[in-house]
This record gives sequence, structure tokens and C-alpha cells, in this order.
Amino acid sequence: MIGCMSFLSAPITSPGPSVVPPPTSAKLTRMFRRLGRESAYLLGGWFLALVAFIVVVTGLSVGAGLLVTVVGLPILTFTIFAARGFAELERMQLRKLLGLDIPHAFYRPAGPDQGWFRRTLVPLTDPQSWLDSLYILVSFVTSTTAWSFAVTWWAGAIGGLSFPVWGWTLPNSQNNQDLPELLGFGRSYGVKVVFYMIAGIFFAGTLPAVIHAFTLVQSGLGRLLLSSRSEARAQVDELVVGRTAARSAEATALRRLERDIHDGPQQRLVRLTMDLGRAKKQAGAENPQLVGTLDDALRQTQDTLDELRALSRGIAPPILADRGLRSALVELAARSTIPITVEIDVPAERLPDHVETAAYFVASEALTNVAKHSGATTCVLAVKLVGTDVIVRVTDDGHGGAHLAKGHGLVGLADRVRAGEGVLNVTSPDGGPTVIEAEVPCGS
Amino acid sequence: MRIVIADDSLLLREGLQLLLVEAGHDVVAAVGDGPSFVDAMLAERPDVALVDVRMPPSHTDEGLRAAVEVRGRWPEAKVMVLSQYVEVSYADELFASGDGGVGYLLKDRIGAIDEFLDGVERVAAGGSVLDPQVVAQLMVRRRADDPVATLTPRETDVLGLMAEGRSNAAIAAALVVSEGAVEKHTQRIFAKLELPPDEAQHRRVLAVLAFLRS
Repeated sequence: MIGCMSFLSAPITSPGPSVVPPPTSAKLTRMFRRLGRESAYLLGGWFLALVAFIVVVTGLSVGAGLLVTVVGLPILTFTIFAARGFAELERMQLRKLLGLDIPHAFYRPAGPDQGWFRRTLVPLTDPQSWLDSLYILVSFVTSTTAWSFAVTWWAGAIGGLSFPVWGWTLPNSQNNQDLPELLGFGRSYGVKVVFYMIAGIFFAGTLPAVIHAFTLVQSGLGRLLLSSRSEARAQVDELVVGRTAARSAEATALRRLERDIHDGPQQRLVRLTMDLGRAKKQAGAENPQLVGTLDDALRQTQDTLDELRALSRGIAPPILADRGLRSALVELAARSTIPITVEIDVPAERLPDHVETAAYFVASEALTNVAKHSGATTCVLAVKLVGTDVIVRVTDDGHGGAHLAKGHGLVGLADRVRAGEGVLNVTSPDGGPTVIEAEVPCGS
Repeated sequence: MRIVIADDSLLLREGLQLLLVEAGHDVVAAVGDGPSFVDAMLAERPDVALVDVRMPPSHTDEGLRAAVEVRGRWPEAKVMVLSQYVEVSYADELFASGDGGVGYLLKDRIGAIDEFLDGVERVAAGGSVLDPQVVAQLMVRRRADDPVATLTPRETDVLGLMAEGRSNAAIAAALVVSEGAVEKHTQRIFAKLELPPDEAQHRRVLAVLAFLRS
């Protein structure tokens, strides 16, 4: 019930009447409206709970009892479907009467190619269906309790406050003893009127709070059993969509940045080298000092261009954007100082930008690591698509001993893989060989 | 020379045009995308063309593909490809598109105007010019079963300079040896790469191609 408590406080947040400052008419209207809806929910809901309880308990007992014969299974399935129906009605009540945001329930669907027998079994394997049944069993108890309190409080409030109107019609025989008399207040009609009016005021005053409290318990239970699974599922879906969108947006932004550097500063600097070159030519041999200065300027421009190029490659390698993962990996291998055998098995059509970028940089950092630390003489870069994962495997014949925990360059690589929700495995016994394998999921 | 230039940046088209006109060349067409470049080449039949790699409409390797297409339809076309980046695989594709008459340079090299114009003329004459950065990348990678791996370090240096499009005299100056020594080295390179005796220019291109494929 601890988990339940958090739900209880969540759905209806307006404070109870006891802490309300002198209510204005608007607040009063709102309170009455809520009281009406919640009372309808508790009083009417009980009849639904009763019918559902009878159907489900009967169905489950009969179905389970007859399970050894053939008819038990369809009865169970029918009962589960009935429970779903009642649960849907309850969800509708929560939405319509209490205005709660209850997501649509997710039930496990039957596969299109499954036979009737499997179709019969599918609802029985669905967790939400069983939660629906559980709700019907539990809610009958809570609903009955809530209904009793609601009826008592309403009766106390209405009956007590209206006692002067109907109290005189009661037969006043000596054999009747009512509460004020038992408590020693005497049996005069005036005492009765005052006593029942006070009781009525008590019931009426606490009625909104009592109804609200039972509504919270009842709706909290409904929320917990009928919709928390769907809510959690919806949240996970949202997170997954959000993360994928963020990664893809990042990859797109980086490629745009690379293009902006290419079209902006790089082109201006190239033009600058052309103009400086022309100036040098125009200065001619008779101006050695000027030519020297222009040479310096040319060298500075050249260095700036080199730095910009290195920067761009780190942001988004142009060949990756232009030609895709396969070409970029081949080029990457061509740049290596160690001979690399490249085995690439990815589809010709392009993968999502962020997957290509992640796989590329994983390969790039792994190869850099091999060149720097492994002492290897040959290396194999294998990249393939398995299911929805891109597997990048770098195998070298170096001296081994690579470790994720030590201050190796592999830590940065592990972080990069984890950022893409991938997995990095390193096998590197002393004496080698070292195998670095990363799984980069393509996501949804 | 009659020259066609293609670059989507007006800034760079202007800069190139000024530079070429000052050097006494004739820019017969200046275009800004791949398809117009192909059209201009086939219509103008210039002595040489200068083309940028990243151009519209695809904004990827448009210029490279246009150059290969032009050389497919007009095998004698001479094309110098210019780019902000050089990739070994692009150089390979370009050099495989025909015998010589191609160049592949970083745009930064244009600043050294005399060397750049020299390279353009070399390409126009059917030679090949490869950016020193590509050459440097080719120098570091080695495969055991590759004839280039049988070259001595000095021969590899000579081959690299040859790939950059330098003449024997220029190579001799760069390595501080006599031209005769360079000539001996080149003969040994041709022999080791098993290139048939042929016209010198053609063999130099083949040697560069072998170097690219190593």
C-alpha cells in the first residue's frame, strides 16, 4: 500500500474543506460540484462493482474448476474478457466522473497467424487482464466499505438537518428509546430536535471530506491496478522517442555545423590564400620584404585551414555525410598506420545519421587505440548489422592487456558507446590478441 | 589555355577567375553545380577544367561524380578536382576514370600560385597531380603483398613526389640529388611495379595509379 499512497495524493489536488479559508461562492460551487461527482462515483460504482464481482468470481471459480475438462478454458477466457469490459467501464468512470487522465490500456494482441486455440490462450497470458480481475475482486471490498460510509454520511446529513420537518411523525411510544435519551439528555422533543440538528450539521460538515477520502482510496486503487502499467509503458515509450529524437537532432546539428564551417570561414580563408598569392605575385621580385610578409600571411592562413579541417573531421567527417558508413570506414582504414583488413556487412541504404556517426567514431577511436597502445602489426575492422544493432569489432594481434578500468583511451570509447545505449566488450588477455566489440543499437 | 571552372561559391569562382586571367588564361565558362559543369564541358571542350567537389544539387561529392561522368563521355577531358578535403578513395576513383589528365588538390594549394598553375598545365598536358596530403597518407599504409612495398625508402620518396606531379628536375631539387640519379630511381620504380616500357608520361601515371591502389 506504500506505492498506493503516492497515487492517492496524486489525482485530486484541491485541498479538503477543513483547510479551506472562508469559502467564496465560486469555491463553494466547485466544492458542491465535486461532492456531487464523487458521490455519484461511490454510490453508483458499487452496483458496477457488485455485478462485476459476481460475474468474475463465478466465472473464475467455474472456469478453474472445470479446467481439467475442455470447457474450463473458454469459460476462463470469457471471464477475462468480461473483466476487461468491467475494467474499461471503471476507467471510463474515472475519466468522465473524476476527470482523471487514464491512458488507454494495452492488452497483448493475438498474432495474426495464430489459430483459435492460441487466440483463446493469449488473453490468459496478458498481465493487464489479470490485474483487471484482481481489481474487481479487491474493489468489491473497498467499494462496499466506501458505499456504506457514503450512504451513512448522506443519510446522517440529510436526515439530521431535516429532523424538525419529519421528526414529529415518529410514533412517540414509551417503548422507544433513542440516542439522546440513552445518553441522558432526556426525551423531550426539543432535545431531540437540537441533538439531531447538531448531528446533521456534523455529518453535513464532514460529508465532502469523507466522500473525497473514500474517492481517493477507490480511484487510487483503480489507478494502481488499471492504469499504472499503461502509464509506465507510455512513459518509457515517450523517453525512448525523446532520446532517439535528441540523438538524431544532435547528429543533424553537427552535420549542419560542419557544412556551415565549410561554406563560411573555410571558403573565405581559401579566397584569402588566393588573394594573398596574387598579391605576392604582383609584389614581384623587387619587393623581397613584402614578399616575405605575404609568405608569413599565407602560412598563417594555411595553418588555420589545417586546424579547421581537423576540427570539422572531429565534428562530422565529410565523407560520412557524403557517402555513408561503408566509404567512411574504408577511408578510415586507409588512414591507419597499421595495415587493416576491412570487413563490412551493412546494407547499401543509409542507416540513421546518429547510428552512422556513433559507429564511425567507435571504429575511429578503437583504431586510434590500437595504433597507440597495442603494438599490433595487423588489425581487422569488422562492421556488420545484426538485427537492429550495428556491431563494430576491432581485433588486433598486439600484446593485449587493454582494460576498461585503467587510464586507457578505452574509457572515452566506453562512454561514447553507452551514450548511444550500446554495449562495449573488451577481451584482452596478456600477450593478446585484443578484441574490442561495440554494439550500437539502431533504435526505433 | 581555355578553362572551365565549377564552384558553387561565387567568392571562390571570382577568386579563381581573377587569378587565371592574370596568368593569361581564358575562362570560357564558370558554373555552380554538377549538371551545368557536365554541359559546359561537353559544349566548350576546354583545355582543362577546375571543379569543386561539394556542389549542388546533392551538396555531397557532386563535382567528383560530374568529373567522372565527363571523362566517361569525353575520355580526353582534363580535369583538376579541388576540395576542402582530400580522401584517398576519391583520388582512386578519379585516377581510375582514365589515363592521366587528372589532378586532385586541396583548395589551400591555390595560394602557391606558380606551383598551382604549373600543376594545372601538367594536367592539361595529360599528366597527373596528387595532393601531398593524399601522398602522405599513401606513404604510411603498407601491405605485405604489394609491389610498392618492395621499393626502397628513397624510391618511395621519388614515387611520392612523382604522384604530386613533379618533374624529374623538381624531384631532384626537392631531394637534393642529381637529375640523373632521379632518372635511375624512376627506371627502377617502373621495373619493380612491372610497368611496360612506354611513353614516359603514361608510365608515370600508371606508377601513381599503382601507388594509389597499394
